[in-house]
Amino acid sequence: MRLAWGPIALWAALLLFPLAVSVSDSAAFLDDVGTTLILAAIGASAWNIVGGYAGQVSVGHAIFFGSGAYVTLLVYELWELPPLLGLPLAMIVAVLFAVAIGLPSFRLTGHYFSMATIAVAELVRLVVSNWPLLGEAIGIQGPATPRGWWDLIFRSSVPYYYIDLAVLAFVLALTYAMERSRFGYYLRAIRAGERAARSLGVPVLRTKLMAFMLSAALTAVAGALYSFKLGFVNPESGIGILVSVQMIIIAALGGAGTLYGPLIGALLLIPLQSATNTIWGGGGSGLTFIIYGGIILLLARFEPGGLIELWRRVGAATFARPKRGAADAA
Amino acid sequence: MLLEAESVSRAFGGFLALSEATLGVERGEIVGLIGPNGAGKSTFFNCIAGDLPPTGGRIVFDGVDVTAAPAEEHARRGIGRTFQVPATFEDMTILENVMVGAFLRHHRTRDAHAKAMEVLRLTGLEAQAQQRARSLGTPGRKRLEIARVMATEPKLLLLDEALAGLTPSEIQRAIELVRRIHATGMTIVIVEHIMEVILTLAERVLVFNQGRTIAQGKPQDVVNDPKVIEAYLGHHHRRRRARKAEP
Repeated sequence: MRLAWGPIALWAALLLFPLAVSVSDSAAFLDDVGTTLILAAIGASAWNIVGGYAGQVSVGHAIFFGSGAYVTLLVYELWELPPLLGLPLAMIVAVLFAVAIGLPSFRLTGHYFSMATIAVAELVRLVVSNWPLLGEAIGIQGPATPRGWWDLIFRSSVPYYYIDLAVLAFVLALTYAMERSRFGYYLRAIRAGERAARSLGVPVLRTKLMAFMLSAALTAVAGALYSFKLGFVNPESGIGILVSVQMIIIAALGGAGTLYGPLIGALLLIPLQSATNTIWGGGGSGLTFIIYGGIILLLARFEPGGLIELWRRVGAATFARPKRGAADAA
Repeated sequence: MLLEAESVSRAFGGFLALSEATLGVERGEIVGLIGPNGAGKSTFFNCIAGDLPPTGGRIVFDGVDVTAAPAEEHARRGIGRTFQVPATFEDMTILENVMVGAFLRHHRTRDAHAKAMEVLRLTGLEAQAQQRARSLGTPGRKRLEIARVMATEPKLLLLDEALAGLTPSEIQRAIELVRRIHATGMTIVIVEHIMEVILTLAERVLVFNQGRTIAQGKPQDVVNDPKVIEAYLGHHHRRRRARKAEP
């Protein structure tokens, strides 16, 4: 039985973070980084449901993130409604996208599925970049000044931080429950071997599709939270391939298919990204690509299971060496 | 009759891997499918398991036509199968592997857990429940596959070379397990090319050669059938056996 103090300490630290940094000179900057971190953890955790647990590596999740960011701002643009009211609609749009992409492409497996999702995401990005209603290449904006609390416009990052943290807690609680349910077992079985899963009565296509829809809806929430905070979205920040890649890298770095993997990945990657952006200026996106590439190389070569798997292995090797093949003797 | 396969054929492009195989299995029977490599027994097996839709003929299970049904439908109807090359879920524990099977009939986690533990006791894997499947060797994996499919509570158990690659003592233990499962009233169809196994287990065998069934009957009778000896050992051995039998 592993002690639960790890997660408790983690959540306590996340809850106290804005208080702890409030004494610092650069509190505003640190709050901003913290909010970005939590937001990235939400996106990666949402991706993790289908990309991690079910092992279906979608590189098209930017579509769902973009749905969340665009639709919430669009309801303001069109009807001057608070962006928050666009959230349910954004989730519906994302789920519809998930069905439209998943139904044909889940018949493909492995790399072919990933490639299909990249293609669709780039297609959607091109359409959005040329659609006047969605602001073409410039993007769209939310309300400039708050008309009430419901516009969710705050000068400080701290309220966003706590809103995002609550959403993250919700997403992880949902994942935790899923892990222990029939659905969660079926997803892991599909990742481990579709043919064997099918032979045990797992409805593979339906299960993958449901995971994709759930993941899409939660990713749309991440996109919506992004637009609440920034009040602005353009094709690059909303549907750019980097949006999808970041979710994958973060989840894989921490440990895809584990509850805390995405959060741990975000805890490492986002501060690293912020630091490089600060040192080399905001135009550090080229450097971001280099960092991502380096992480992919290291993970693929040394630890495909991510940091959590590394931790488990090192822990297991130190504390209890399981005897390989001992089970066969029985 | 639990399973009725009628003139089942399967072609891969222009190659007829299986031609008009017919098999009826009664409840509680153990039937062996034997034959040399490439004889079509695995193709036939995969047709029954729903992994490979037949290109001709029909398969009726428990009164329902399942010829064109997908593999998961076969599992739901009560046809459970193991794989020739074990397809265990490597990163999951042995208990979790078996729970995936148990979830078919028990939707709540607690019930699936209880069912899985019951099967682990039956198959003697209880002590390793918390180990990952990847820690097992071939005999353990084959045993785990049997446990996993037993957790789906099948009416018909299809074993695909469940004993291949095992040492004689492991084979003995595996045979004991199959016997124990059979004793619970399970109907079993087993593909095997180790003759010894079939002789001790099956009540009836179907012999395949070059995509066709060439003999059917009690194991003792079948092994003395000249056609079977020829298929397995070639002309030379048939002549030798015949010479030996003469004096």
